[in-house]
Amino acid sequence: MLIIENLTKIYDNGFKALDNISLEIPDGQFVSIIGLSGSGKSTLLRCINRLVEPTKGRIIWNGLDITAATDDELRQIRRRIGMIFQQFNLVKRSSVLTNVMAGRLGYINPIFSLFNYFPPGEKQRAMAALQRVGIPEKAMNRASALSGGQQQRVGIARTLMQDPEMLLADEPVASLDPATSHSVMKYLELLNNEDGLTVLCSLHFLSLARAYSDRVIALKDGKLEFDGLPKDIDNERFKMIYGEDAVEVEIH
Amino acid sequence: MNTPPPSRTLLWRLVLVVLAAVVLVIFSYGWTVTDIDLAVPQEAQRQENVGNALRELLSPNVFSQEYEVKTATTSFLINCPEGFTAPEASPATDQPYIVVEPGCGTANEPVTVRGFNFAANGLARVNWIALDGERRIRQVIGTGEDNFSINAEGSFSVQVEVPRIRGTTGETHTVEVQGRFPLGLPTLSATTGLVLEKMVETIFLALIATAVSILPSAILSFFAAQNLMRPVRTSLGGLLLTVALFPVGWWIGSTLLTQLGMLALNIGRGNFSGSAAATLFVFVGMVATTRKLGTSSTLETVSQPRALLNAVLIALGSVVLIGLVGGLGLLFGSLFTEGIPGYLSAFIGSLGGMVELVMPLIAGVIGAFTLSSIGTTLTRDVFKRLSATTSHLLGGVLGALAGAVVLGATAVIGMSAAWMGLLTPFVAGGLASVILPQLYQRFINPPQPGVMPNRPLLTLLNWIGTVIGFVATFLLLNVRQALVEGTLPDPVIGFAGMGISLPVYVLQAMLIGAVIGAVAGALAGTRGNFPIGTVLYSTTRTVLNALRSIEPLIMGLVFVIWVGIGPFAGVLALTLHSIASLGKLYSEQIESIDTGPIEALQSTGANRLQTIMYAVVPQIIPPYIAFTMYRWDINVRMSTIIGFVGGGGIGFLLQQQINLLRYRDAGVAVLAIAIVVSILDYASAAIRERYT
Ligand SMILES: Nc1ncnc2c1ncn2[C@@H]1O[C@H](COP(=O)(O)OP(=O)(O)O)[C@@H](O)[C@H]1O
Ligand SMILES: [Mg+2]
Repeated sequence: MLIIENLTKIYDNGFKALDNISLEIPDGQFVSIIGLSGSGKSTLLRCINRLVEPTKGRIIWNGLDITAATDDELRQIRRRIGMIFQQFNLVKRSSVLTNVMAGRLGYINPIFSLFNYFPPGEKQRAMAALQRVGIPEKAMNRASALSGGQQQRVGIARTLMQDPEMLLADEPVASLDPATSHSVMKYLELLNNEDGLTVLCSLHFLSLARAYSDRVIALKDGKLEFDGLPKDIDNERFKMIYGEDAVEVEIH
Repeated sequence: MNTPPPSRTLLWRLVLVVLAAVVLVIFSYGWTVTDIDLAVPQEAQRQENVGNALRELLSPNVFSQEYEVKTATTSFLINCPEGFTAPEASPATDQPYIVVEPGCGTANEPVTVRGFNFAANGLARVNWIALDGERRIRQVIGTGEDNFSINAEGSFSVQVEVPRIRGTTGETHTVEVQGRFPLGLPTLSATTGLVLEKMVETIFLALIATAVSILPSAILSFFAAQNLMRPVRTSLGGLLLTVALFPVGWWIGSTLLTQLGMLALNIGRGNFSGSAAATLFVFVGMVATTRKLGTSSTLETVSQPRALLNAVLIALGSVVLIGLVGGLGLLFGSLFTEGIPGYLSAFIGSLGGMVELVMPLIAGVIGAFTLSSIGTTLTRDVFKRLSATTSHLLGGVLGALAGAVVLGATAVIGMSAAWMGLLTPFVAGGLASVILPQLYQRFINPPQPGVMPNRPLLTLLNWIGTVIGFVATFLLLNVRQALVEGTLPDPVIGFAGMGISLPVYVLQAMLIGAVIGAVAGALAGTRGNFPIGTVLYSTTRTVLNALRSIEPLIMGLVFVIWVGIGPFAGVLALTLHSIASLGKLYSEQIESIDTGPIEALQSTGANRLQTIMYAVVPQIIPPYIAFTMYRWDINVRMSTIIGFVGGGGIGFLLQQQINLLRYRDAGVAVLAIAIVVSILDYASAAIRERYT
């Protein structure tokens, strides 16, 4: 269970990106976060694993107060929270396998990492993760040699190395074409169904949110605008979230 | 586009004209200042001088040749008697012989000298030998030269004049032809040998300087990279505690830990297998001590006593490990003396010697960091639970201690050189800069969420504080005297005890530091956030820039004083400059990396070291290789002239040759430099192209 209490984020320049957000997300839920760009989706996701330091409020996950965790504790919490990014954030010059193995670093003695050493078995684990996202044959390629959809699958494989219980996806398909978008979303759905991962996924398009999520959260100017089932977003709600002039487009 | 009104274009033109005039004046002034005088290069004497020098420079003395000399003589009668007939030549022989026609004559008469049976393609000259036995070289009529060439058949025919020598009428003189013929192939001259030897020295000088500078500049580059350092902040309480504990930890380290390290070093140099085993054992122990966490989903926290024990164990382990490795180096250094193993042995041995030398320093740093980390671990929870009032009180106390330590340290540096005295006012100004903004934000206009802070005002307050802090410290410590008179502060001891003695000057600085630190610390409180990263970043950048601006030749002058004339001084000068220069170039590469992977690895729970190893290092290796090559290229160029100030290498030789006006020998050195530099230029460009 992830509990967010009165979360507020004010950036150094005084901009209030999140305004008193409170949420409860039970384990195993697939939650979409929608909203205009600049509405605070990324900030919310990043506050959860404290890539962005919250200004006020608490975030409690499985009884652990993430906001109060020390650096050591935070690293242990982060190990169980996978994250994938719009820009994939792979090391482009490194091999796909190295990129995937890097997801395991939180479990590895830092002295080993100084010598670029992974304990035996980690390579098999990485190959298994690549197998799951369907690109084991790319293991030895440079990450930069892969297509966008494949790179995002490497990103997913990297989070699999973490043994995660929750997955934060920040616009994972925004740089992909519609067909590839669906294939990546299918993998997230798979992890949600098979592994029971809680998935928090910010999305640009409502149609994707409707197709994959159990629950939709909408942000507007850092405030919680809507929290409910995808089917409850009617035209009126849609205009409230995206503004008067918006028209819903379908992604096929 | 709307055209500007005519008045504006007119004004604009006027401005342009004035600008052009100003540029012209600046340029003319420069012309005068640089003593440009077109008449000087046209003076005949100077032109001849430069012509000669250039001719010699361009005929480098690269090769030398052995010659064999063949001579042939015949007789010549001065003033022909009646009915003179020249004796018949005896062409039956295969020895060289010459014929002079006619065989007699008076002064200034032309005679033809013909020679046969000489070797092919040599140079020869005609000598006239009178009865006094003196050889007089006869110039060849037509060319006016002493030498003439012998053709491919080994024969020649030239005309010379009979010399005018008084009172020789009726005498029989000897005409001699000396032919000089190359013996074997040309060989490299002695100069070339010397130049080659010095060139090797030069290349290695550059190589060592570059290689040694890689590691330090790579480490520094991380501190000089804004994108990595900006986000690094630390709790003010922890930082103040760290600074306050630093001297204590240093003292413990450099007295106690050093003993341990030296013990390990002596064990290491004693016996090979034993110390190798000990090294392995300690290393494995340290790996085991660093935390390795399981995979459970609840937090596994290390208890405080355990964490403290770990910190102490790691400190002891590292000192022992460094000592053992250093000792092993020394041991290896004493193994071989000859050949390649000898070089290796001398090299590794001197690395070991270096460890022995800096052991107190290493132990001091380790001690300081360990004590600080123990201090922060112990107090972390305490700091968190403090009430606001106590947090500010404690901030004041710790701030006073930390301020005293920092300014005390800068004052000690200030005791070393007069202008270093400026450091203390500068740092004091930096510390004081936070006071006014803090006051403003606390009492006049507390920051409110959603309201942009008044940046310009805060910056202004910052500057006012800096200036006040600087001026006050400057006046109190009487830095003016040091600046103007160049005198060092009085070394009168104001405190002595516990093995430390502090001059009054340092105590004063510490007092100023304590006051500023106390005020700043009390205002900020222990809960504040300190942008330690930014401070480290700007300090590193400033030092690198300052070092970079000093040319290696100038550094070389200083190092020659320190270690004497020779390549060692050159290595030190080039290394220091390379560290500064590469540090800056490297850090710019870090600043241009993709930060996405860093964020991604942070989110997986990797620690800072791991993030750097896996997200930063792979991205910077190619540009680092390219810039290292580039630097090697520059260092080779530099090392060819570092010898001019006594830094060894080919420059030293070149300077000597030029001073002795031996331009043909200097030409060899110049040629060698040109060849090596252009080869390296090409190679480094090729490698760089491949990696960028
Ligand atoms: N580091 C930052 N400093 C200041 N403002 C920021 C920063 N990051 C984001 N913002 C601002 O916060 C708001 C929310 O950003 P974000 O969470 O990225 O929105 P979204 O992901 O929905 O597009 C934006 O207006 C953005 O300009
Ligand atoms: Mg975003």
